[in-house]
Amino acid sequence: MTSDPRPRATLWPKGRLYEDFHVGQTFDHHWGRTILEGDTTLFTTLTLSFNPLYFNRAYALAHGHPDIVVNPQLVFNVVLGLSVEDCSEIGGPFLGVFDLTYDRPVYPGATLTARSTTTETRISESNPANGIVTWRTEGFNEAGERVVGFRRSNLVRLRNPKRAA
Amino acid sequence: MGELSKLTGKNNYFEDFAVGLVIRHARGKTVTPLENVLITNMVMNTAQGHFNEHAMAATPFGTIISYGGVNFSLVLGLACQDCCENALAELGLDNIRLTKSVTHGDTLYAYSEVLETGDADRDDAGIVVFRHYGYNQRDEQVAQVDRRVLLKRKSHWADR
Repeated sequence: MTSDPRPRATLWPKGRLYEDFHVGQTFDHHWGRTILEGDTTLFTTLTLSFNPLYFNRAYALAHGHPDIVVNPQLVFNVVLGLSVEDCSEIGGPFLGVFDLTYDRPVYPGATLTARSTTTETRISESNPANGIVTWRTEGFNEAGERVVGFRRSNLVRLRNPKRAA
Repeated sequence: MGELSKLTGKNNYFEDFAVGLVIRHARGKTVTPLENVLITNMVMNTAQGHFNEHAMAATPFGTIISYGGVNFSLVLGLACQDCCENALAELGLDNIRLTKSVTHGDTLYAYSEVLETGDADRDDAGIVVFRHYGYNQRDEQVAQVDRRVLLKRKSHWADR
């Protein structure tokens, strides 16, 4: 008879806390993701992003594109999503995004990967049990061309708040 | 009116936007698991606070918090038809601020303000910078985002 696995289990934890970040560290984020036509059409319609470039292929072709244009907000969200486990899975809320550029259109079938560099770490003045960490994140297509780049900050919990304070 | 221009609005080309114009967008959208959980999982965001109701019940939030990327994407979407239906491209975003958490059942509304207009590196389009604001059903601001778009000029595109 199989015994209860739970007392014998070891948690394989996910995510990082404030002390795990230092300026200059880089993360080549996991997985990558191929963006399919259904992904962008569903994202676009659920968010009411009504520009025909994102859901009318004939219209997109008439504007010189080879296919439907992937909604740029989906490109951003996939690249940020791929960065979450490394940067922000358990630490705290997402505070802001700055200086975001969409460098080139993405079309269905493109495979995106993401990379981040930690650019700033500081203890929150108003909430010293937390720090604020900022990363520069970039997303690339399978040819290695950058499709999106941005700076984002998260509140990140300290593992040892007293010692750091 | 041409085959392309009949598919989109007539009053939202580059020439229609002047600095200072503020638009209240007509539609709101309620955030449900369809928006938050589906999009959070679709984009590989692994933070379970956006999809584990049991874990979130034990936190001060008490319930799942909608992913901020979903919240501001909805605000951008609610503003899209009026501001970007005739866009050739969305060039970038800036100053994205997430000022209040959103939970399933909250309804988002959007407003937009024209911050800048200017020439582009092509004659048939211009650049407009919008500031989009998102509010919930209690009139609390939940998000703000600036968006730079390349918009068709009516002079070049209205008859195509």
